[in-house]
Amino acid sequence: MRAVEPWVVAPLRAFVAESSARLALLMTSSGQVVAQHGFVGALDLMSVAALGAGIVASSSELAVTVGWEPFRVVAHQGKEQAHFLAWFDTPRGRWIALVVFGSETKLGLVRVFFEQLVEDLAAAAPPEEEPRREVLAADFERELNASLRALFGR
Amino acid sequence: MSLVNFTTREITCKIVYYGPGRSGKTTNLQYIYGRVPEARRGRMVSLATQTDRTLFFDFLPIDLGVISGFTTRFQLYTVPGQVYYNATRKLVLQGADGVVFVADSQARRLEDNLESLQNLQANLLGQGVDVRNFPVVLQYNKQDLPADLILTHADLDDALNFRNYRSFPGDALRGAGVFETLKGISELVLKRLAAGGAGAA
Amino acid sequence: MTSQFQAMLDGLTRLRGVRGALVVSLEDGLVVAESVMGGLKGGALAAIGATLAGRAVELSGRGGFGRPRFLHLQGDDGALLVAPGHDLALVALAGRDVPIGMLRLEMLRTAERLG
Repeated sequence: MRAVEPWVVAPLRAFVAESSARLALLMTSSGQVVAQHGFVGALDLMSVAALGAGIVASSSELAVTVGWEPFRVVAHQGKEQAHFLAWFDTPRGRWIALVVFGSETKLGLVRVFFEQLVEDLAAAAPPEEEPRREVLAADFERELNASLRALFGR
Repeated sequence: MSLVNFTTREITCKIVYYGPGRSGKTTNLQYIYGRVPEARRGRMVSLATQTDRTLFFDFLPIDLGVISGFTTRFQLYTVPGQVYYNATRKLVLQGADGVVFVADSQARRLEDNLESLQNLQANLLGQGVDVRNFPVVLQYNKQDLPADLILTHADLDDALNFRNYRSFPGDALRGAGVFETLKGISELVLKRLAAGGAGAA
Repeated sequence: MTSQFQAMLDGLTRLRGVRGALVVSLEDGLVVAESVMGGLKGGALAAIGATLAGRAVELSGRGGFGRPRFLHLQGDDGALLVAPGHDLALVALAGRDVPIGMLRLEMLRTAERLG
């Protein structure tokens, strides 16, 4: 389990256990991973999140373009595993859940427990935004330059 | 919006390479992908048409290393440049922390550059972004082409750089200016984060 | 097709004590048609019924006693009944006072019509 904010951990852990999903990712609507739980293996989570957010964004936009409400859920059925993608609103903004599951469970069950996850996250989120903490030191540029030079072999 | 994980001390930022069709946005990412050691980058994802034109986006995550005690990652995206893909461009632009505008230096592409730059401003404004304080750098790509086909750095600055952004000459195919451009946008994005201009999730 | 299912389900929910009946896709556990009392979550019933049926099919296959025709999960406050077909299942939720024998007979008849 990895999570940006600790309050996400318990609801996500419960969701994965109850829905029997193999992996659940929570991400921002721009595709940045907020939390993950389950079997990751060799998955490139950043790419998975970027593509998942792209699918949700484009399918929602497609719905709006043809005059419907944005689709909230997109499901992909594969031969051995399936994906459930859905956006939801949290006190921290709009997030997306990407759930990978296999024959151990069913889409309907994932969907039912996803609704529970959304409620649990809303209840678990700290009511007030934490005060902004200092992120980078003023002299970060020296380190950035060194990092970039090393990255490009210069 | 930058994602800052205070528990694991990680920063993730989203940089979007914007510009008209065939200006060299994907080439920038391909060069970076080729230069950066495998351990410091993820897979490059390209959602392209059969003729290798970007259909949705290219995506390349790179690991900048530890800066001010934070493991810093950049997610580099490109948008499809062709005019009729504006809906897709808007989607990719969502949540961006900075933009690299890749202009085509050829004189005959000046109108395309202007149109794309205006489109960028409109799309940022549409997302409620204050373009005056938003990190943007310009790259004038294809400066390696014969002088009679291209505009100079100064000419392009006059024509495109009315907001006085940092600008860099480039030859993305051979890598000239790619590093400098990435460095330029990285500094702006992180400076903004340090100043508290970009929210931490 | 859905209106046919609806008519079948209405036939079941007319029985005393039946709180809800659904036609459910066994593959994904989603609702195909439903007739449930207010306050009941059809999606949850469908998912639980299909999951139960899926497990029962797997277990009875391993046990070598063929495909299950009927499942009856009795709780203190009521019962969940499932009649699995090949692709679809009939799921019903019954209160304590329901004539289970009658409901079971009706569900099996209805399930045959589901195919």
